[in-house]
Amino acid sequence: MTTDFVIVRMAAAALAVVFAVGAWHKVRDLAAFEGVVTAYDLVPPVAAVWVAWSIPVAEIFAALCLVGDSSRTLGAYVGGGLLVFVTGAIVLNLWRGRRAIDCGCGGIEDEVHLSWALVARNAVLGAACLALLDPASGRDMGWLDYLTVGVGAGCMYGLYATFNQMLANAPRLARLRGAA
Amino acid sequence: MTTTLTVAVAVLWLVVGVLVVAVFALARQVGVLYERVAPMGALMMDEGPKVGEVAPVFNLTTLSGARLALGAAGAFSTLIFFLSPTCPVCNKLLPVLRLTARDEADWLRVVLASDGEESAQRAFYAKNSLSEFPYVLSAELGLAYKVSKLPFAVLLDEAGRVRAKGLINSREQLESLFTAKDLGVESIQQFLQKA
Repeated sequence: MTTDFVIVRMAAAALAVVFAVGAWHKVRDLAAFEGVVTAYDLVPPVAAVWVAWSIPVAEIFAALCLVGDSSRTLGAYVGGGLLVFVTGAIVLNLWRGRRAIDCGCGGIEDEVHLSWALVARNAVLGAACLALLDPASGRDMGWLDYLTVGVGAGCMYGLYATFNQMLANAPRLARLRGAA
Repeated sequence: MTTTLTVAVAVLWLVVGVLVVAVFALARQVGVLYERVAPMGALMMDEGPKVGEVAPVFNLTTLSGARLALGAAGAFSTLIFFLSPTCPVCNKLLPVLRLTARDEADWLRVVLASDGEESAQRAFYAKNSLSEFPYVLSAELGLAYKVSKLPFAVLLDEAGRVRAKGLINSREQLESLFTAKDLGVESIQQFLQKA
């Protein structure tokens, strides 16, 4: 089955923005992200600094690959692999009952704590990466196609950011309910 | 027909784009609202020694090897700050604690308390150069004050009575403990409810 070229480009562009913004937030405060990696308690503290470095590097690499038509498949594999890696780390900590750690997702100022909603969010992103592996049907792109790719990718990122914001709001609402 | 569809799709994209921005902005505003209406000051949990009660005395050894009778009456008030090397908010508050210890040195002593593996604690202690604070490791201390969430702080007065306590996430919440002590109320929440 082939997916229409426009859909593939739109999904790839949206994922590229998600990865690029994620990387930017991690690099901006690398020390804090190192603390987050340490808090996940899955790698020895000496390795935490390497993990803290390599995750944003992989994210930038995936974002760049996703933009180009020829390198898109590689970008989808790297991005998908990264998602499996971080989601695995989240699931392990959820099983251990360690929810009250910062997810380290970046993107918003507030802390997003670990939850199954986060896992669901990453599953959607992973599914988008998988969808990019289908061969895309080529055709001539008109201006309306470019509009669809541009605005569509922007909207997808907007929805992703909204979901993150709602994840950050959830514990605050829970606190308010508890305090009432 | 093609023109009709083209115009329709272009207009729809425009509308969807604006709507997504609007939904995101609303979600942010809801977040700000939740924060603004949240209880002011440090959230107090109604467990452990109550405000006004005499605190239990713990004879502990700090990481630097000094003896410390925590909770005993003395010339200074004591702020027991419970933290952990794995808690990012605790890390963020360390500079605030340093400043507080310096600014309030005439009446207050700050003690850091934690528990768990000593090697990790010592690494944390060295990395953040915390030698200016007495740093104690005691699971019993945390249990006595029923600390369930970090960072948590307890303010004891000169007589060793608990004057204020609560979950601390910011400098304002830390200062609210001092305000609660000055006002003679259990917590700023209680003060606001009375007002």
